[in-house]
Amino acid sequence: MGKALVAAATLFPLSLVRGAEGLGSAVKPFLENYCLDCHSDEARKGAVSLEGLSEVTADNAGLWKRIWEQVALKEMPPRKKANQPALLERWKLSNWITEGLESAMRDRGGFREHLRPSKGNHLDHGLLFGLPVAGMEPAATPARLWRIHPQEQLVRLNDLICLKRAYDAKRPGLWTHGDQVPSNLEGETKVYFGLDQYLGSFEDAYSVAVSGFSSPLAMVRDRGLRNYPYLYSVNSAEATQIAAIAEKVLRYMACGPAAEPYQFADDIKTIPGPYRNANLIFYQKEMKRPVTPLLTLMNEPGVSDERLAAVVGFLFEALTLRPPSTEEAALYLGIAKKSIEELGKAEGVYLGLVPIFLDRDALFRSELGSGGKPDGQGRVMLQGDELALAINAAFSYIRPESDHVRRALAEGHLETRQDVRREVDRILNDDSIRKPRVLQFFREYFDYDRAPGICKDRKFLEEEGGHYDTYYAAMNSMVANTDCLIELILREDKNVLQELLTTNRVVYQPYTSGANFRDGILFLTDIAYYMARGKPWAPLRSEAEITTPPTDENRLFIERQKRVIEQENLLHHIFPNPAEPIYVRQSPFDKGRFPPAMGALKAITTVDPAERLGILTHPVWLVAHSDAMDNHAVLRGRWIRERLLGDAVPDIPITVDAKLPVEAESTLRHRMRVLHGHECWRCHQKMDPLGLPFEMYNQLGMVRDRDHGQAVDASGEIALSGEAGLDGPVSDPMEMIRKLGASERVAQVFVRHVFRFWMGRNETIHDAVILQEAYQAYRDHHGSMRALLGSLLSSDAFLYRKVEP
Amino acid sequence: MTNRRAWIQGMATGVGAVLGTGIFPALGQGTGEGVIQSVGGPRRVIFFLQNHGFDPLTCLPKGLEESCDLDGVALEKPMQALEPYKSRMHIITGLHGRHTNPGHSAYFGALGAYRGGTGVPPSAATIDYVLGQALPPTILPPLGIGMESLDSMRARPTLATLSASGPNQPVPMYCDPNLLYGALFGSIAEGAIQQQFRARSQALLEVERMAQWKAKGLPQSEAERYGTYVRGFGELNGLNEKLSRISERLKRFAPKLDERYLRPAFETDWHDALLEIGIAALQANLTNVLTIASGCGEYFGSWKGLGISETGHGLGHLEQPDNEIWTKIRQYNCAMLVKLIKALEATPEGAGSMMDHSLIVYSSNNAEKQHSEGAAWPFVLIGNAGGRFKTGRYSHVAERPINDLYTTLLHGVGAPVDRFNMDKNLAAIHQSRLGPIEGLLT
Repeated sequence: MGKALVAAATLFPLSLVRGAEGLGSAVKPFLENYCLDCHSDEARKGAVSLEGLSEVTADNAGLWKRIWEQVALKEMPPRKKANQPALLERWKLSNWITEGLESAMRDRGGFREHLRPSKGNHLDHGLLFGLPVAGMEPAATPARLWRIHPQEQLVRLNDLICLKRAYDAKRPGLWTHGDQVPSNLEGETKVYFGLDQYLGSFEDAYSVAVSGFSSPLAMVRDRGLRNYPYLYSVNSAEATQIAAIAEKVLRYMACGPAAEPYQFADDIKTIPGPYRNANLIFYQKEMKRPVTPLLTLMNEPGVSDERLAAVVGFLFEALTLRPPSTEEAALYLGIAKKSIEELGKAEGVYLGLVPIFLDRDALFRSELGSGGKPDGQGRVMLQGDELALAINAAFSYIRPESDHVRRALAEGHLETRQDVRREVDRILNDDSIRKPRVLQFFREYFDYDRAPGICKDRKFLEEEGGHYDTYYAAMNSMVANTDCLIELILREDKNVLQELLTTNRVVYQPYTSGANFRDGILFLTDIAYYMARGKPWAPLRSEAEITTPPTDENRLFIERQKRVIEQENLLHHIFPNPAEPIYVRQSPFDKGRFPPAMGALKAITTVDPAERLGILTHPVWLVAHSDAMDNHAVLRGRWIRERLLGDAVPDIPITVDAKLPVEAESTLRHRMRVLHGHECWRCHQKMDPLGLPFEMYNQLGMVRDRDHGQAVDASGEIALSGEAGLDGPVSDPMEMIRKLGASERVAQVFVRHVFRFWMGRNETIHDAVILQEAYQAYRDHHGSMRALLGSLLSSDAFLYRKVEP
Repeated sequence: MTNRRAWIQGMATGVGAVLGTGIFPALGQGTGEGVIQSVGGPRRVIFFLQNHGFDPLTCLPKGLEESCDLDGVALEKPMQALEPYKSRMHIITGLHGRHTNPGHSAYFGALGAYRGGTGVPPSAATIDYVLGQALPPTILPPLGIGMESLDSMRARPTLATLSASGPNQPVPMYCDPNLLYGALFGSIAEGAIQQQFRARSQALLEVERMAQWKAKGLPQSEAERYGTYVRGFGELNGLNEKLSRISERLKRFAPKLDERYLRPAFETDWHDALLEIGIAALQANLTNVLTIASGCGEYFGSWKGLGISETGHGLGHLEQPDNEIWTKIRQYNCAMLVKLIKALEATPEGAGSMMDHSLIVYSSNNAEKQHSEGAAWPFVLIGNAGGRFKTGRYSHVAERPINDLYTTLLHGVGAPVDRFNMDKNLAAIHQSRLGPIEGLLT
């Protein structure tokens, strides 16, 4: 492959000339050599003629877009044709087309499809992992603003109103300072006021009276990577909401919970009867919230410039992670003072400080190459605050307590690639510096966190053994469990991808019952599964062990004993293998669980690797790739095609009415027969045989033996993988996953996805060397994520920004 | 620490008015000044979309098999509140939206008449936005309000699911009446509150200046993206100024700020409040298009205030005809429509009333049912928008996409197009034809 690339490079100029006279000499030969045999006016195969096709225009953009995808993904010319263009030829035409589409669609909403994360694989894997192509420009990323992630905003705002919890090495799963804000079991991700000072409530008051906020910043809901800078700005709707939240946050920082005097007590038992209702929550009298310069200002009479400036500086730094410039400090101080003059201290301070929350740098992070001098290729290395913040943002949403990066910057030790590598390695090797961005990558890469968002039809769900009322809570809980397992594997940092794909360890919630259907999808069902097959499993303890005779007085005591037995049974006797306790991060607020828990003790164990093997066999991944009424073999196959094999399928043509026959008595595999043997199969052959092995699970992710009355057929096939020896039939998902987990290509594709997430863009051919070096670092360090990130985060793609002349 | 009275007063400039006003994609060209002029023709369109689908058997009177006059026909029980307005109605069945990917909701596809569905961003402007551009200008085209459970409305005071001003440009709707009230009527407060409003407006101007200052030196592509942010403040400031200029009219129509806003007993208190603000916005000529989303264009929702304990997605799994729960929800919808009609009738405009120049479009964001394939998508039109639309009729339109109805609406308001959001190459596949649907326009 490498030789072919070099040969092609010598025959073909590196870019195609765009001629004013039409397609010109560059594109025409390609069409004549490879396309017009079938797509002439006369032949019109597939009712498409490319004869006389002009330069890309808004009118023919649809056709050119199809050509782009077909050529880039090697769908055309048909695979059976011997006369195939070289990879470099395909790449050049693809580039020519996308450039043309960008230009032609500029006034029609623009064309940015090729920039989308889902189109990253349109750059052929062989172009990146073959030999380097001569004449390439050195890598760089365009200068840009990167709007902050909604989690980033929540974490920073939470820091202003909640006390910080230090990292506990013995309980690494607990929610600690710097971690992402976890969602509750309803799937809502919010920051809450008054958690530190919470005393108690009556009935479920907390659920109706608790006050909090979500981030108003929007995120696309596409599958896969979602946080490319070009996708986001902040609109007036979001800005208005941010302002509203800011005012609430400022008031809370100064005054604490917005509650009446009777809602503060030392002991909930002292609350008078009339107030014991479901609409009120109660707070400790003792103040518990961060002590900030704002609190100091509001607790003393008057307003001095010095105090107000301290508040401005504190807030600016908390929100932008850097100190304000002299100009910025003066401007915000001026606004605050004016506001206080108009409204008085009590109201003016809050209103006057809100604008800081709307500063550009509180909502966008700059990677503009400010202060640098462009090299010969128009590239500037990031420096100063931009570099320090870029390193920090690669891992964290806040600045860690021990801010070595800023110290290095202040001491002049953050100027070279080696300096950056030193800081990156230091952060990677310090578990106390929380790295929510790393977990976010794995969420987006695997998409398992989408499971709670997959709506299930009640009838089908209950027929499959699910419990509708607790189903979504179960899914949210299991997402947190999978987070926990991933973080555990990252701490081990050995063969990370392969381990994620093939581990037989699972984290689960033991304290539940079948009726609640929390994690029962996987685990309680697996009890039945083990029992039904006569597999060895430890005997359960019996309630008969409780010999104390029940009386009116000891009712609670006996109940507690029963619960201990139940919990022990669930924790230690579900599986033949031993279980260990493990902490899982979850929301501080969950209906029915008070006082708010900062973490939950769950369990980790191993399961039969013939039945569960890695994330792709976990219910959250399976459900995330299912629909309301059934499994979704196409989505599952597509995930493997894209995220593991580095390939893609073109967008489904709008003219295709993609529907399977409705046959209630047929298996999904049988219903998908209609996709065989005609035009659909060209794309579906890339997906269906990879997705159908997961038919050994039902749509809730439960292992099953039978499907619609027939023995389950879990066979499939790896085809068109691009790696010698990988293709071939598989008897079940385990065999397929093991083969994929051991594949060099799969590991390289993983590296490509890691690159995309951290660089915030699709890779280009100019990044080939960086990707090869990153893969080599990963491989040479036995599948170390730390080595991989260390390599990528000290590469040109991370460090250099291309600036406009 | 918060005094309830102070809270309500504060709301006039608070929450949504925190830094200026509201949430609008692009402000209207109209100054909104002066008295509404004597005019004919269409001036406004109101969309009302109920979620979980609109079963044709609910809207189609029993015994009707083919297109006919509605005179002498009895509406179904869920729609009976509209009986007095039958002569001004047009019930339309037979349209489809298969290409809008409804499933749980077509989202932007419902008003865009293109492929929508969960997580699919808008691919073009939606019909409410396009109509807003075509109708006589007002300060804010279009305004959207969304009704959900209290928890949901509080957690998501604005939400963009249905309307769009262009490709990838969703337009948020308001779900929190406090936020909306502050946005529209915050400027008419008096005394200390007005002083607060002025201070907030001033602060917003400073923010805009700061945002502009930080736009300097950005690369072209980034300047465009960041421009969205800067322009947002410009819009908010511009709106503030325009609202200040029509304070007398705002005072005339502003709804009474009462306990329902601050202490709603049920979500329906907020639904009612949102509707009242929406009506007031029409009466004050702030907007020419109002989009009401009962269920926020999604597939959840709660109507505990009607005595319905079932909430959320499960509601969509109920068969709608003859279902007590769905009868209640639909009756509530119709009561809202009646309230809207009466308010517009009571407000003079030109030689008649506002209703004479209005068109109400009632339907769903999800065709005929939950988990729909979009095969049937009924609509009820009320009003003739200045005599442009035929009324008192039931029409069955055989197999045409909802795009064609939207094309018809554009013809009706005097902004004719051949097709709405329908590629000519796909028209045959979706049975779309050129121009308006026959029999709907006068």
